[in-house]
Amino acid sequence: MANWAILSGIEGNLAAYEAVLADIRRQRQPVTDLYIVGDLVGLRGDNEALVRRVRSPQPGEPIPQVCTGWWEEQCFSLHGLRGLPDAPELVDRDRLGTVKDLWEAVSRQTVLWLADLDFGFHELDCLLIHGSTVSYSDELTPETSPLTLCDRLIRADANTLFCGRSGLAFECWVEPSALQSTVTTLDQTAAPQEQGKSPRRVVGVGNVGRQAGQASYVLYNPGTNKVTFKQVQGSLAKGFGASKGLSHR
Amino acid sequence: MKLAVISCIHGNYEALNAVLSDIDTHRADQIYCLGDLAGYGPHPNAVVELVRSLDIPTCQGCWDEDIVEGLNACECSYPSQLAEKRGHLAHEWTNRAIHPEVRKYLATLPMTLRQDNLCFVHGSPNSQHEYLLPSMDGFAALERVLSAEADVLFCGHTHVPYLRELDNGTLSVKVQQPGQGETQHQFTAPLKRIVNAGSVGEPRHGRPNATYVLYDTDSAQVTLREVPYDYAKTCAAIIEQGLPPIFAWRLARGMEFAERADDPGHVCER
Ligand SMILES: [Zn+2]
Ligand SMILES: [Zn+2]
Repeated sequence: MANWAILSGIEGNLAAYEAVLADIRRQRQPVTDLYIVGDLVGLRGDNEALVRRVRSPQPGEPIPQVCTGWWEEQCFSLHGLRGLPDAPELVDRDRLGTVKDLWEAVSRQTVLWLADLDFGFHELDCLLIHGSTVSYSDELTPETSPLTLCDRLIRADANTLFCGRSGLAFECWVEPSALQSTVTTLDQTAAPQEQGKSPRRVVGVGNVGRQAGQASYVLYNPGTNKVTFKQVQGSLAKGFGASKGLSHR
Repeated sequence: MKLAVISCIHGNYEALNAVLSDIDTHRADQIYCLGDLAGYGPHPNAVVELVRSLDIPTCQGCWDEDIVEGLNACECSYPSQLAEKRGHLAHEWTNRAIHPEVRKYLATLPMTLRQDNLCFVHGSPNSQHEYLLPSMDGFAALERVLSAEADVLFCGHTHVPYLRELDNGTLSVKVQQPGQGETQHQFTAPLKRIVNAGSVGEPRHGRPNATYVLYDTDSAQVTLREVPYDYAKTCAAIIEQGLPPIFAWRLARGMEFAERADDPGHVCER
């Protein structure tokens, strides 16, 4: 039976990544697929060692499927590979010192490898992505307007959207229950159409490496459609049950 | 107050003149233009001069943007490869024909205009290149109106006019976070409307007549207008100027001929 582990925001934190891998190995139901939805690299960690570890899984470990995130896009921008030149988002956020730090934190060779990664993964009825299909920087949280969450799910064409940009762990079921739409053209006024539909959800997958000793990620069982939040403190793993009675399908 | 909203003139001077006369007879107090002054048609400079001389507040259209920025959109701007090729030819022609001060003017056009609870855009609040088709998912359409912080969103770009009313929008949300209890909330939206102004100079609703809309701010009444004009004159000028003859063919029929975007929701990121 499939069991996915979905991670984001490692930000070069190799120790945190190892702790999560250890936690994954401890799962009673073996993890069959490992997704990393962006921010593999960051400012403070050992990005080169982390990327090496991700690229060379040990025997028996699932092969990580990695897509790009906000920090990767900043690297592409700095290295003139895509997006706007000179990482204006990074400059805006953290001033020029950070630009120099990031330039030194990730080698060009690694940046070129990162540039070949996907933007996200469509698997079954799920989209796994860093931000959303609108942008890698699109930050979805439980506070995001329900209509925006609904729009991102429609754009994703998915029943579950797993994302990592906010770094938060959450499960947000959105039910667009009612909406009457009436279209009038030059030739006719069509009868009103009911646009309500069944619930879909946005899942924030937490972050592995932003805070020392505070890694979080999610497990997803496509068979039961259940999301489980995991927190890993150092070597201690703690599970949080989620979606009690929330499985709508 | 009576507003007239026009869009997508596309260098068609004849059509613009006819629409302006029609607006006169309806005694509109204010005209708004949703862009695409240039492209496809033979008289981009004359169209811009007329719009400027009348001080019509105008948003930047997708063609106006391309003339200013150069054609660096991804191929998503065109619904098919054939359309892309023709589009490139028209772009190059327009790019050569356009006067420097006209180009400068197009560069100054804003993405959005506002009046009270009304918002005016070319494609969508996100992009001049996004199509708000009447078949778009209702909640996605509602999101566009709300993201514009408006009650009525005026758009163009599809070249087919329509009014879409979105009423009683209701969403509920259940949130679960580790270590916290489940929270629930509900969101409701009052009546919101999308008004597509169609196209003055390159209509695609199946007839050659120019289209635009009238809006009464007091009664919130929307009137889709269809105005006949001497399209044969524009067609002749298209041929005479060496623009792709298919544009004349299409103009005379008000047709789209199977050039539909594969993914109208796709937004070109550049
Ligand atoms: Zn247009
Ligand atoms: Zn357009």
